[in-house]
Amino acid sequence: MPSTNLLQGTLDLLILKVLVLEPLHGLGISRRIAQVTGGTFDVKPGSLFPALHRMEEAGWLAAVWGQSENGRKAKFYSLTASGKKQLKQEASEWRRISEAMSSALGSI
Amino acid sequence: MTLWHRFRTMWRNLRRTQQVDRDLENELRSYQELLEDEKVRSGLPAAQALREARLELGSTSLIQEQVRDVRLGVTLGNLMAEIRQSFRSLRRNPGLTIMATLMLAVGMGASTVVFSIFHAALIRPLPFRDPGRLVEVFETHLDRGIDHASFAEANFWDLRSLNRSFEEMAAYHEGEANLTGIGAPERITASRVTPSFFRTLGITPIVGRDFEYDEARAGSPGALSVVILGNKFWKDRFGGDPSILGRTLRLNDKAYTVIGVLPPGRPWIDDQSYIPFRYRPNANRGSWEFNVIGRLKPGMNPGAARADFERVAGIVAAAHPGEARGLGFGTAPSSGWVASVTTRRALWTLLTAVGLLLLIACLNLANLLLGRGLSRRREIAVRTALGAGRGRLVRFVMMESVLLSIFGGVAGLAIAFTALPIIRSLEIRGISSLSEANLNPWVLAFSGAMVIITGLLSGLAPGLQAPVSIARALHEGDRQTGSRGENRLRNILVAVEVALSFLLLIGAGLLTRSLDQLMSVQTGFRVENRLMFSVSLPGSYAEHGRGKQFLNRFIDRIRSMPTVESVGAVSHRPIEGGNPGMGIGAASGPQIADRDTPWAGWRIVTPGYFSAVGLRLQKGRLFDQHDEWIWDRPGQPSQLRHVILSERLAKTLFRGIDPIGQHVVLWKGQSGGDADVIGVVSDMRERGLSANMAMTVYLPTGVEAVPSEFIVHTQASPTSLVSTIRAALAELDPNLPLSGVRTFEEVISRSVAQSRLNTVGFCVFAGIALLLAVTGIYGVLAYSMSRRTSEIGLRVALGASATSIRRMTLLQGMRPVIAGLVVGTVGAWWLSKSFTALLFGVKPFDVTTYAGVAAVLLLAALLACYLPAKKAMRIDPAVALRVG
Repeated sequence: MPSTNLLQGTLDLLILKVLVLEPLHGLGISRRIAQVTGGTFDVKPGSLFPALHRMEEAGWLAAVWGQSENGRKAKFYSLTASGKKQLKQEASEWRRISEAMSSALGSI
Repeated sequence: MTLWHRFRTMWRNLRRTQQVDRDLENELRSYQELLEDEKVRSGLPAAQALREARLELGSTSLIQEQVRDVRLGVTLGNLMAEIRQSFRSLRRNPGLTIMATLMLAVGMGASTVVFSIFHAALIRPLPFRDPGRLVEVFETHLDRGIDHASFAEANFWDLRSLNRSFEEMAAYHEGEANLTGIGAPERITASRVTPSFFRTLGITPIVGRDFEYDEARAGSPGALSVVILGNKFWKDRFGGDPSILGRTLRLNDKAYTVIGVLPPGRPWIDDQSYIPFRYRPNANRGSWEFNVIGRLKPGMNPGAARADFERVAGIVAAAHPGEARGLGFGTAPSSGWVASVTTRRALWTLLTAVGLLLLIACLNLANLLLGRGLSRRREIAVRTALGAGRGRLVRFVMMESVLLSIFGGVAGLAIAFTALPIIRSLEIRGISSLSEANLNPWVLAFSGAMVIITGLLSGLAPGLQAPVSIARALHEGDRQTGSRGENRLRNILVAVEVALSFLLLIGAGLLTRSLDQLMSVQTGFRVENRLMFSVSLPGSYAEHGRGKQFLNRFIDRIRSMPTVESVGAVSHRPIEGGNPGMGIGAASGPQIADRDTPWAGWRIVTPGYFSAVGLRLQKGRLFDQHDEWIWDRPGQPSQLRHVILSERLAKTLFRGIDPIGQHVVLWKGQSGGDADVIGVVSDMRERGLSANMAMTVYLPTGVEAVPSEFIVHTQASPTSLVSTIRAALAELDPNLPLSGVRTFEEVISRSVAQSRLNTVGFCVFAGIALLLAVTGIYGVLAYSMSRRTSEIGLRVALGASATSIRRMTLLQGMRPVIAGLVVGTVGAWWLSKSFTALLFGVKPFDVTTYAGVAAVLLLAALLACYLPAKKAMRIDPAVALRVG
């Protein structure tokens, strides 16, 4: 698995992004991130859970226990209003940085 | 909203830790199950799926730990856990906890008390508007060597109208009056002030009105008879009755209408009444009677005002070349009203002393904790091995000292709370605001800061001593004593403690010797069995010589009382009373240059005064009933008058010539007038124990010179006479109050109260410091000896004698003491200069004191070393080696 170091805040942004469409449980989030980044990011539980709990405590995510597609009990995370706001803010910030970085690096 | 959410989350995390943890556990299990399902779906057999899922998930406890670390309130939770842990650890060591708390409580209590006095006297601003612009104004007569004199009335009016520096100025004359008509007659403070007085101070009456400027100028004499009351005076005597306005008070047999009451909380003007006095075009220029205050214009500083004063003084001196010759004006900041320079210095010294004491307590606590840290090595090593970080260990040790310091601070506040009422009740001249010393927010903030500083300071050394690495910790855990460095650190702490205690002890020793010198100084007067009191006569006694008649009859009555040896009256009470003076010169004999005209105090006395106060006649005779004082009237020939001189004055004036029968010029350079010398009496320290022998001219009483201060010498206890005297006075005139009743001994004791406060304070602090230092010395040595048991056992087994073991122990214990003494001596010598001003009759580097204090300290230290040494001598090698 390609191991790209997650930049500070990248994981948060990715989690927020994949939760926009529908609530997901932990494994779902991990798989969805791998899928949308073409396998570049493989989020391990050791970084996923601290991030989820931190974001829940910050009020961006809400968590409820529910049933998974194959009938297992699982904790589902969804975006809150302030989570959506946070996503917008972080996304625009990310764009700004990434544009700045690409123009700085130019063509190497 | 978000904030509320965060707060709720944090609350949940802290209060329902188990539930939160269980939830996370479930979540991780569900993750694993989902993972397993996924693997099964992709075709793996169940057992392998489970294994791979577990592998992919990794250590659940590690994840739980990581989640826990990001949770809200994790720091707070850890902190609380640490505090709980420290509490437990302190409870397990009640001896150390109690000892440390007591030690710190004493230090904190003492420093809180001293700081509250300091705050009341030196920091709290004067309770007047914009006190920085408020100054005291005084006259100077530098040509006569006088740099600080009261104002002559005319000079005040001139300066007030001619100056450009002041927004407003006021003059006042502190006085007293007999208040009659309500209850028993009473002597009260009634100052005469110009109508501008309260405007200058910047206060306005809370009831009624201020004086009108023309109140004093209005033509009718009745317009002058108004009075404003101080707040305390109003509350104490009239119960704060607002209908007081318009009421009439009889002061000195004259009626005054109350027009206002001043606001509360101004201690200097609280217990008084005020009567206005008006501008007089023919005011006196020769008699210095008035105190003057001024409010500088905004932006005006005393330096800029000086030029203005020179200008005004020049104008006045040119207009009145005789009386105002050499006149000048000066100002002093109003902060000096609360505390004199001496008081200021004394309080600073006391605050420094108490700071040293607190520092010693810190060092001692640090030492105790260090000692415990050494014996807790194993515990700390285990904690380190179990993963406690260095920061956490340091915090753990510091937490203990901070907790102890908080205990000490709380106990210290309790001590201060009990001690302050006692301190407040002391009446100490020079600290008029002492009654204001209390635990106000400023003082509490100071104590709080002290608690934190003390906690951190005493935890610093033990905290840093926490081991660096597990290997070292475990390795050293088995060693018998602390490392060389740690023992050295403890010895240094002890040495510093000894040095600081030495400083305090030297201070205490010097002050005690100084007070001792002061109390045993040759005073010239006798205080045993002497009673003092005042009877002031109202204006009505001025007519037809009634005052003189009263005086004679009253004195006769007292003299006829059975135990009375002698009785006399004087215009100004020794030590406590005012000190009016005059320039005096010999009319014949060797001419003294004008500049050297001696300045002598004058006192109007009855013939009995001399023996009542304990003075001896040296030459000539005392006054008899024919001697009478008659003031000079302008334009009339001078009367034949008799005076008695104090011995020192006679020697200064006549230099070996027999002074009896010589003429002297009184009030030389002022109003003038002359008299014949009929006697010389012995000297006394009339202005206080630390002042020089006074130069005094004694004048006889007269119809217009009736003294108000009485002194009675009895055979029995002087206070037993008070009721008899009171009855005799009531028989003569039931409207006359007896006031200021004190024994001469009380008067003296009050005059040295400030020195005594300093001395007692220093002695208490030094005593505690000594005790702390001794416990410190004992603690270190006893600990080190208990750790060296097996080593000493080995020495004994190899043939060391008990004496050599004792010598070794004492040497080890005394080494830091000696070092501390040397450092302390150098420090004391270095500090001694700033101490000089507080001493009387003792040099700051007083060899006796130094030697005595060093001896006391050494003896105490030897005592502290004795017990551990004795124990070391008794060590049985067989037992010691087996245990080791």
